[in-house]
Amino acid sequence: MTDASRGRRPLLVAGLLAGLLVASAALVPLIADARPAREIPIENVDQSLADPGADGWSEVPAATVPLASAPSGVPNADDTTVRAVEVEAAQSDETLFVRLRWADSSTDRETNSPRAFPDMAAIQFPVNATTQPAIAMGSQRNLVNVWQWAGTGTTQELLAGGPGSTTAFEQPQVSVEATRATIGEDDGWSVVFTRELNASVDNRTQLAADADLNVAFGIWNGENSERAGQKAVSEWYYFPFGPDEGGAPFQMILWAVAGIAIALVIAVTAISVRRAGQEGESE
Amino acid sequence: MAHENIDIADGVDHQVAMVMDLNKCIGCQTCTVACETLWTEREGTEYMYWNNVETRPGKGYPRDWESKGGGWESEEHNERSVGEIPSQQDYGENWEFDHEGILKEGEDKALKPENTDPEWGPNWDEDQGAGEHPNNYYFYFPRICNHCTHPSCVEACPRKALYKREEDGVVLVDQERCRGYRYCVEGCPYKKVYYNAVTKRSEKCVFCYPRIEGEGPDGETHPPACADQCTTQLRLVGYLDDQDGPIYKLVEQYEVALPLHPEYQTTPNVYYIPPVAPPQHSDDGETVDVERIPRSYLEELFGEQVNDALDTIERERAKVERGGHSELMEILQDKNPAQQYRLEVFADD
Ligand code: SF4
Ligand code: SF4
Repeated sequence: MTDASRGRRPLLVAGLLAGLLVASAALVPLIADARPAREIPIENVDQSLADPGADGWSEVPAATVPLASAPSGVPNADDTTVRAVEVEAAQSDETLFVRLRWADSSTDRETNSPRAFPDMAAIQFPVNATTQPAIAMGSQRNLVNVWQWAGTGTTQELLAGGPGSTTAFEQPQVSVEATRATIGEDDGWSVVFTRELNASVDNRTQLAADADLNVAFGIWNGENSERAGQKAVSEWYYFPFGPDEGGAPFQMILWAVAGIAIALVIAVTAISVRRAGQEGESE
Repeated sequence: MAHENIDIADGVDHQVAMVMDLNKCIGCQTCTVACETLWTEREGTEYMYWNNVETRPGKGYPRDWESKGGGWESEEHNERSVGEIPSQQDYGENWEFDHEGILKEGEDKALKPENTDPEWGPNWDEDQGAGEHPNNYYFYFPRICNHCTHPSCVEACPRKALYKREEDGVVLVDQERCRGYRYCVEGCPYKKVYYNAVTKRSEKCVFCYPRIEGEGPDGETHPPACADQCTTQLRLVGYLDDQDGPIYKLVEQYEVALPLHPEYQTTPNVYYIPPVAPPQHSDDGETVDVERIPRSYLEELFGEQVNDALDTIERERAKVERGGHSELMEILQDKNPAQQYRLEVFADD
């Protein structure tokens, strides 16, 4: 090495260190926000969020879930209008609160005439938390629970094993509060579904089963005569009820990246310290 | 089984059927009231008439039902034609009258709907008909569910809440399975399924099945109330596959009893004897040899077969006028209830 190059080395090391610092600073918000694409985070809360207008909701992160027309044999199945629903979830010691917010400028609360259909929203879970049933209302082997709210003010808790097979629980455990709200720039609905984490009977999804829980969403626009299979639906998403470690691979990749970065910093620091020491000795 | 050469639905033992002779209907609505009294005096049914009698030509009940789609695209019955749900205005709203005030308290006002100012309702165009004086014409048209052999209402339901009864082909809505989606309402081309906004389920004519089963207090078999109560006893009730009965003869043998709108491809089991009106008159009152009800109009309702049917009726009538005997004319004039209502022929099956 020439004298000239030797004189530049501390400069190079300092530059590398600075670069790493900047890069990790830029990564921090990303890491904090990062979650697997299909995960809907659950915020722990200590008060009830059953009211869609409750202050506590402002602390709960939202996932935007895209919707598309469900494949169905009913007439006009392709003609649905709602494109996305914002989903937020919060859990207290004993209760799960799920808030759905979506844009729908017409308020349809009635079924009081032959052509009147209400706006509706539904949340679907596998009955057996460790399964992922067929997305379209499950199947005979893998049943689903559906919480369905209608603009008429009624809420039903349903059991289904495939399209056309829904039956209602006689004593529903799900309660719903709904209100009109501003969603982005549009009018729409803000609806909170509330249920105890513990399932009291067979065929009711156990919410706190210590395993990630699949969940899917459906929205009907009553003004467009949407009902039954004519609905806008999501793919399967999941609530991360499972243990944190060994969760999603994406999280592990993030930790791996962070680990490598730390190792690199240590290595670079160690090398420069040694070089600095050698230089000192040689002088 | 008795129906080797009769087309009834797969998996159905026998098929109930009704023949209505349009030449005998006086539009008295006794059938409508009989049905209403028996079946639709519940909350949410106020606007529905499982049996209605409309004036033809006319818009019918619900208004313009013939332009609201439903039924099948072809006789293969593999593709349904999507229909629309009539509006509440098309059916007519539930009018409330102040009978109490006017009749009991002597209030001085007209008896008219208190809750709405209607612009349409059932029989709004009653007796209007068509044509110019002295050759105007109309006839009354009683309609119930046709308990079709290929019921598009059944096919339309994603929950299989509607079904065709195995024993007699009566088409029913299972109130437990129905979730009020109304695909049956739009899928029936005759608009004979109705949505009850109180129960939030669809309902329809049940062919008075408890009566034909003898489930009433007297344990006897009775024809549907609309037939039983008909002032002029113009309805024959029985089974299409009862080859000794008058219905089989009128439909299959003489081919004078025709389904309404066969092009809807649901294969109705209510059949009509087409109306024959007096011939047209000239301005000075002379009878001229022109049919009063245009064949083209009857073809719209019954298809081209109406021509043969009317020709057969005319021929058989002429035979009797010449002093001859006609089995067909006898059937059409029969006053024997044992023949008119043959509901126990398969009781021992
Ligand atoms: S008339 Fe309509 S409701 Fe009755 S069976 Fe036929 S399609 Fe169904
Ligand atoms: S009761 Fe008989 S005559 Fe009177 S309207 Fe009904 S079908 Fe016609």
